[in-house]
Formats: sequence, C-alpha cells, structure tokens
Amino acid sequence: MSVLDITRVSKRYTQDGPEVLKDISFRAEKNEFVTIVGPSGCGKSTLFNIVAGLLPPTQGEVRLDGEVVTGTTTPHIGYVLQKDLLFPWLTVLDNVGLGLEIQGMRRRDARERARSIFAAYNLEGYEDKYPSALSGGMRQRAALMRTLVTDPDVILMDEAYKALDYPLKIQLESELLQTVRERGKTVVFVTHDIEEAVTLSDRVYVLKARPGEVVAEIPIALTTDTTRIDQRRLAPEFNDYYEAIWTSIGRAPIAA
Amino acid sequence: MTTLDIADDRVVRAPSTATGRRATTYRTLLITLQAAIAIALLATWEIGASTGAVNTFLFSSPSRVGQVLVERWQSGDLLLDVGTTALEVALGFVIGAVGGSAIGLLLWYSKFVADLSAPFIAAIGSIPVLAIAPMTIIWFGTGLESKIVIVAFSCVVVSLTTSYRGARMADQDLLNLVRSFGGNRGTAFRRVVVPASMTWVVQALKLNVGFAIVGAIVGEYISSNAGIGHMILLGSSNFSVNIVLAGLALVMVMVLAFTLIVSGIERILLRWEK
Ligand SMILES: Nc1ncnc2c1ncn2[C@@H]1O[C@H](COP(=O)(O)OP(=O)(O)O)[C@@H](O)[C@H]1O
Ligand SMILES: [Mg+2]
Repeated sequence: MSVLDITRVSKRYTQDGPEVLKDISFRAEKNEFVTIVGPSGCGKSTLFNIVAGLLPPTQGEVRLDGEVVTGTTTPHIGYVLQKDLLFPWLTVLDNVGLGLEIQGMRRRDARERARSIFAAYNLEGYEDKYPSALSGGMRQRAALMRTLVTDPDVILMDEAYKALDYPLKIQLESELLQTVRERGKTVVFVTHDIEEAVTLSDRVYVLKARPGEVVAEIPIALTTDTTRIDQRRLAPEFNDYYEAIWTSIGRAPIAA
Repeated sequence: MTTLDIADDRVVRAPSTATGRRATTYRTLLITLQAAIAIALLATWEIGASTGAVNTFLFSSPSRVGQVLVERWQSGDLLLDVGTTALEVALGFVIGAVGGSAIGLLLWYSKFVADLSAPFIAAIGSIPVLAIAPMTIIWFGTGLESKIVIVAFSCVVVSLTTSYRGARMADQDLLNLVRSFGGNRGTAFRRVVVPASMTWVVQALKLNVGFAIVGAIVGEYISSNAGIGHMILLGSSNFSVNIVLAGLALVMVMVLAFTLIVSGIERILLRWEK
C-alpha cells in the first residue's frame, strides 16, 4: 500500500473557471522521493495545497496510509515552502519547536527536543537569535528542521530552494537527500527545475499546463549512491532522464 | 550530519560598530543642540520679561511659571492635580486602548460580526469627545468616573479599528502552517494573529496617549474639582496666565511621561523587531 495515494484529482477555483488540474493521479511509496515537475502555472502549488489538506479538490481524493483525508482533518503531513514561514517574533529555537508545541508538547520539552537537532543541521549557536539575523539558507534549514522534528509521515516541499543561489541550493538539497534517506522519509517535492527532479528523486511525474495533467511518470535510478547533488549530476544516466522529462514537457506549450 | 564545503552561508549580521558609533555621536549632537535652543528661548523670554519688553500679565515668564509650580507643590495642589489627571488617563487608557485592542483582535474570529458592526463602530468614532463629554458628566457625575469614561471613549475606536486591521493582515501562510500542525483557530489566534498584530496595536497605543490626555483635560474643563484641566480653567478664570502656563507645562510633561511608558511597552512587545 502506498503511503500517499492521489486519485483522479481535479480542481476548478470557481464553478465556471478554467480547469486548473485535470484527473491527476499519483502515489508515493514508503521512503520514496517523488517529484512533481512542470512549467510555472501548471497547477503544482494547487496540487500541493490539496495534498496538504489546505484546499479541497473539486473531484477526486487524497489517501494517506489508506485513509481518505480529503476534506476531513488535516493530515499529519509536514510541508516546506519557498517562503520559509519562520515566525519573526519567535527565536530560531522556538520556531523549530513550534510544530511540537502546537501538537501538544510542553514548551520545555519542545525546546529541549528542538535544541537537540541544531548541531546536526549546522545551526548551533543560532538558537536564541531571531530569524531576521539568519541568512536565506539558514532560514530554509530552520524551516526544514521545524518540519522534521515533528516526524511527519510525509514531507511536502513546494519549490523550497527556488530562491537560493546555486551553490547553496546544491548544498541544501544534498543535506535534504541525506536526511530523508537516513531517517526514512517519504517526500513529495514540487518543482519546475528538471535538474532538481532528476538528482533528487526516485520517481518523477511530469505535469503539463492548462489544464494541469500528468503526461509522464518516469522512475529514476542513477548509478550512484552518493547524496551529494553535485556528484549525482555527473551520473551517466543524468542526461537521458533530463532529456526524457524535457521531451514530455515539450509535448505541451510551456506557459510563460 | 556532515555538510559539504560547497557553500557556507553562516553569516552573522551584526551592525558595524563604526556605523553605530556615528549614530550615537549624531544623537548626542542633536540632543545637545535641542537643549541649547530650548534654554535660549526660555532665557530670551525671561530676559524680555525682566526688561519689560514682554508683557508679563499676558505672557508671564519662566520664573513666574516656576514659582507657581513650587507654590502649588508646597500646598499639595500640584500633586493632587497631576495625580488626578494621571489616574484618569491611566485607567481610561487601559480600559479604552487595551480593551479596544483586545476587541479588535478578537473580531478576527468572525469577519461577519466585524462587517456587521463596522458602520456602528465608525459612527461611534465620528463623535467628537467634546460633544460626548457633557453627557458622561450627566451619567457618571463630576468625579473620576466620568473622566475615565471620556478617556476610554477617546481611545477605544482607534485601537479597535487599527488592531482589527492588523489581525486581518496576518499572513495566511502562517495560519496554514499552524493548521498543518493540527492547530485550531484558537491556536492560530494565539500563535499568529496576536503577535503579528502587535506592531499595529502598539502604533495605536502611541497615538492614543495624545487622545487620552486630551480626553481627560476636556472632561476636567466641563466639570471637575481637581486635575490639570481644572487647574488651567482656574487660572484662566482668574486671568492668571502664570497658572495656565504652569498647567500647560504639566500637560507636556505628562504626555512625555506616558509616551515613555508606551515606548517601554513597545520595546517589550516588539523586542524581535530590531
Ligand atoms: N487562489 C486561486 N484562485 C484562482 N486561481 C488560482 C488560484 N491559485 C492559483 N490559481 C491559478 O491556477 C493556475 C495554477 O497555479 P499554481 O498552482 O500556482 O501553479 P504553479 O505552482 O505550477 O506555478 C494558475 O493559472 C493560477 O492563476
Ligand atoms: Mg507554485
């Protein structure tokens, strides 16, 4: 059974509005890294919000561990956006512990648990700073820590590293891949960046725009074990996968 | 976890000390010059009064004003007047500004109630204090209570509408995040809406210091037996510009004092916003 199962999801924002998503189906197996790749405006964020339980689909359903979560409660899904969503009025430590606290953990315990992971994510010494004192990369790290520390079943990421400069993006993606492999996490990663899709994923779904529709499902198997994205980029199969995704996107006109 | 050496983004953003020092020097210069100008003006006034160039019956003089303050301090009147007005302002401010802020924030829970009450709140806000003051004297008497009501009335609408606007502007993405962790509306209110609105709440509090003191003085003008407004009224009915100006000086000091208190509150509430 898949951890996450999306069946024939369609979405119109208004009754007579355009169909943003049409008949989208995809799944993510346990510990799998799945990427949804597609051009801007194809409905990736819309799909993301539906899976996160923040937006009801017009049709279709989302199952988490076999249970329908669409329109019921908020599923235990962690998510990370391009906006880091750190609370500016909380210290970095309290930001990282925020999810735990909201889930009912006592503040002292949440802080202690949050504190215990700062060294692993290279943010030691920044616990008592406010987010405004952190650089973009550090903020994105803190946002990921806040999600991971609550130990969600599935992590959703929407263009999380889009705003970072290239070396930093490679760095953070390498860290991400290592973490989710070590800790055995299921990830659904949304991006418009084909290179990102190939280097990170076990499986890629390609979306086209207007309406957003799955046009290809491409399993990825790079003959390399490293979690370093700069190394994975050099795997011999990289170009073929890149080409395959590019071609399937090319079947539909790319939205500006 | 081992990290790669591809990029190190651990940048600490400390303000440069050189810039900091220059800013301090600038501030010192500014305050020194401001004090010098104030002293020069007062000295000119005083000298003008002593040489007869300034008519002291109409314009008094710094020493005469100072003398009034000393006399009233010795008789105990000063403490009574200042204490009375301060108490009216403080209590009215807490009820009106703090209460108004709380109601404004709580309106976040129901856009319907907020929209429904909007014209009524606007109607209340359009009433000048001067117009409502006589009514409160009839309802609450000439004592402290009526002044507290007037002060609260002067503050409440500004705080209410400003904090409601702040609450409405809370980032939807942050609210969603709270929801994704399983938080309900109460959690979202406490963890996002209230802290996110604090900048607005404090802004309204600062504005309301002025409104509160105007409210108290207006209330005292209409009917009172103590307070700075009472003192000014007494002075003007006796044609004593000395007393009137002494009262004005006290009002200025009081505005300054309450502004400092609110600034302190601001520093606590918004300590993350440097
Ligand atoms: N809240 C909304 N109301 C109406 N239309 C929307 C809304 N959000 C997104 N859309 C539309 O849905 C389409 C897909 O948007 P989005 O999901 O943000 O795409 P992507 O994330 O792939 O760039 C776009 O045409 C966009 O204009
Ligand atoms: Mg998007």
